[in-house]
Amino acid sequence: MSVETKGSALKGAGGRRAVSLLARYGTLAGLAVMIVGFSVASPEAFPTFSNLVNIVNQVALTAIIASGLTVVLIVDELDLSVGFGASLAGVLVTGLMVRQDLPVLVAIVVVVLAGGLVGVVNSLIVTKARVNSVVATLGVGTILIGFNYAYSAGQPIAAGLPDSFFLISLGTVLGIPNNILIMAAVLAVLWVLVNRTDAGQRMQAVGGNAEASRLSGIRVDRVKISAFVVSGMCAFLTGILLASLIGSGSTDAGDSYLLDAFAAVFLGSATLRDGEFHILGTLVGVLIIGVAFNGLSIFGAPTFYQYIFQGGILVFAVALSTIARRYAQA
Amino acid sequence: MEQQRRSDSQDGVEGTGAAEGRDPFLGVREVSKSFGGVRALKGVDMEIRRGEVHGLIGANGAGKSTLIKILAGVQPPDSGTVLIDGEPVEIHDTQEAGRLGLSFIHQELNLVPKFSALQNMTLGLPKATRLGFIDWRATRREVGPVAQRVGIDFSLDEPVGNLSVADQWLVSIGRSIVRKARLIAMDEPTASLSAAESERLFRVVRELSDDGISILYVSHHLEEILDLCDRVTVFKDGERVATRERSSITKDSLVRDIVGGDLADASQARGATAAEARPMLEARDLKRGSAVRGVSFALRPGEVLGFAGLVGSGRTELARLIFGADRAEAGEVLLDGEPVRFRDPHDAVRQGIGLVPEERRSEGLVLGKSVDFNTNLASLPSLRYGRWLPLTDRRKATVRAAGVAEQLSVKTPGVDTVVGQLSGGNQQKVVIGKWLIRDSRLLILDEPSRGVDVGARAEIHNIVRGLAENGAGVIVISSEEEELIGLCNRVLVMAHGRVTGELSGEEITKEDILRLSYARENGPEGEA
Repeated sequence: MSVETKGSALKGAGGRRAVSLLARYGTLAGLAVMIVGFSVASPEAFPTFSNLVNIVNQVALTAIIASGLTVVLIVDELDLSVGFGASLAGVLVTGLMVRQDLPVLVAIVVVVLAGGLVGVVNSLIVTKARVNSVVATLGVGTILIGFNYAYSAGQPIAAGLPDSFFLISLGTVLGIPNNILIMAAVLAVLWVLVNRTDAGQRMQAVGGNAEASRLSGIRVDRVKISAFVVSGMCAFLTGILLASLIGSGSTDAGDSYLLDAFAAVFLGSATLRDGEFHILGTLVGVLIIGVAFNGLSIFGAPTFYQYIFQGGILVFAVALSTIARRYAQA
Repeated sequence: MEQQRRSDSQDGVEGTGAAEGRDPFLGVREVSKSFGGVRALKGVDMEIRRGEVHGLIGANGAGKSTLIKILAGVQPPDSGTVLIDGEPVEIHDTQEAGRLGLSFIHQELNLVPKFSALQNMTLGLPKATRLGFIDWRATRREVGPVAQRVGIDFSLDEPVGNLSVADQWLVSIGRSIVRKARLIAMDEPTASLSAAESERLFRVVRELSDDGISILYVSHHLEEILDLCDRVTVFKDGERVATRERSSITKDSLVRDIVGGDLADASQARGATAAEARPMLEARDLKRGSAVRGVSFALRPGEVLGFAGLVGSGRTELARLIFGADRAEAGEVLLDGEPVRFRDPHDAVRQGIGLVPEERRSEGLVLGKSVDFNTNLASLPSLRYGRWLPLTDRRKATVRAAGVAEQLSVKTPGVDTVVGQLSGGNQQKVVIGKWLIRDSRLLILDEPSRGVDVGARAEIHNIVRGLAENGAGVIVISSEEEELIGLCNRVLVMAHGRVTGELSGEEITKEDILRLSYARENGPEGEA
């Protein structure tokens, strides 16, 4: 009909559809293959209910930080400060309770708001000073490490934490760990934000074409600021839950979340959609990484494999996402 | 001295270039090129002699740039041959063009701002020492005389970014000579030069031509063409209308060639209407840089106001000032008689103004998103269930998109279809639909039918008329005179950032539009 059919587009149509399908469903298929494979290889350890809950519980924190990151990627920016932000949040929340004697809830609220503030700083550097977001957030992230050490003097904060703080991560409701429930709540809120609010439509528009959005009356800078605020708050929430889980505020506990979160977001962008970042895809990406790590550890793979896998999957995920997008636009 | 040369070369009727020999350097034989269904060049023949300054003129879309791109190796011709020294050549890429001695200087001057004049002139072909380092001493020895020849009187170590545009042109010409160019094509060289700077550039061009280098001079400024060129070729609608010797042309004869034989084009203009109504939009002496140099006009409700002019005459820039996409340096905009200052397009949109930009794909649409998404983009808050409930009503969005798609007869499988997959005309309707949903009362359309097929074009025109009949004010910027004649109550013609004339009703003719488009700058002198 009126659908544009360029000569060159016609030739590769079949191949393009194949690649697009492979990218859309390939990640889901990969997840299924891994689950089946691990179940066959290790029928008594892997496919048990407790192990599945264990996997989801392990990835819950990655899922929260990664879904915040997804929102920044939706507006076509990057946030490399999330891992260092999570570390700082852990130190800060434990410190506020132990040293400043703040009640658990107050400390948590203060720290989550601090995460939002970090997002504001990141985004103002990106939108007003026009610094590339990779550089801006790497710089801010490094400054956060400095704050972290200034506050903690490099020592973990553990002694004197109230039991109720540990219970956040260790408690369960109807057998389901709290972290899984918190993850589900965060993901649900962010899914609604992105897909069912005008703010989310603006974010998608800005990520799709910032200039066209501006000329449609959208204030692009404000949209980007709000995306960075979401990312900062999710990163700090992750850090709080991590401190509760490991029982202390450790100076570098959250750093490693950065790479996993990025790999998950990019894997997810190739899931069901053509290289478009979305919350559900991110969840799939997080699960793929979680299942893979779980399998590796059940089989007792040495630590170096985990690093090789972690780096490899990051590169693979970004490549897959880029290819999916290119084929969608060609 | 060049005065001397001028009179020499104009002695004999066809004597121009005789001193260098009349043998052609470059020949173009029956070259054709189409883009999609549009035939940009239809079997063009052309010849450029050794050492002549050859002018190339024509209205927007006449095929000048297409020819240049073919010669530069940017695009291959569909058919036809290019000859150099009588031998057929195939110009596969830009490097091949360079080897053949063809050099191109575009308006944007592809210079590296941070590099010195010397580095820019030798970019890509530096002298290397045995160790692979650049031998700057040898380079300097080679470039020195070239710099002198093109009249460079500044230090060659100056970063090009610090130079004036005129000096940057000299650097670009120097670069062409360093590369042993035998033909230099220049695209609108004087677009941002002052009168004195232009004169300096002309001197250099004449000296090059004396040395046997051919110049292909593309310009909208007919006075310059008359002043500078030995011969002039006129393109119209992808065909060569004529190649004329300097001695046989006048400005009027050039305009006639550009417009073609259909001067007595029957005007279908709609009568001027609503002249008594209060203006909804007024612009007073708007200025920004060299693009918009003091423009005033008024738009009444129910009126379709056209802006005509050549590419680069400042129309798009003016539209962006009104819409708040750029800030005016001086002047004011009044809406319903009240002064308004738009900080960004958001403010303009809130006041009911909509812009259908010239660059539809990069500025009008989120190509990867659906028809539904794009048509609702300018009116997202109205999709909320309630003012304080920020959740969007997806059903309302779909219904609204489907409604406007039907109203504008957008041919699409559904409102969830990605707009990148629609044809140009349907994409344009989606952009317009965005402003209909918003209930915009003032719509600015920049080249609304570019890249749009004939059927959709007529439909878009009907939409525009319908909007005006319902009391909206519409501004149409177009480079197609027929479009303005058929659509507008009034047309303002712009040239060099100023309004050079106003035509209304029956007075809107192709001839008058073009005459005013080529009007010489008559504003205050001395502006750079």
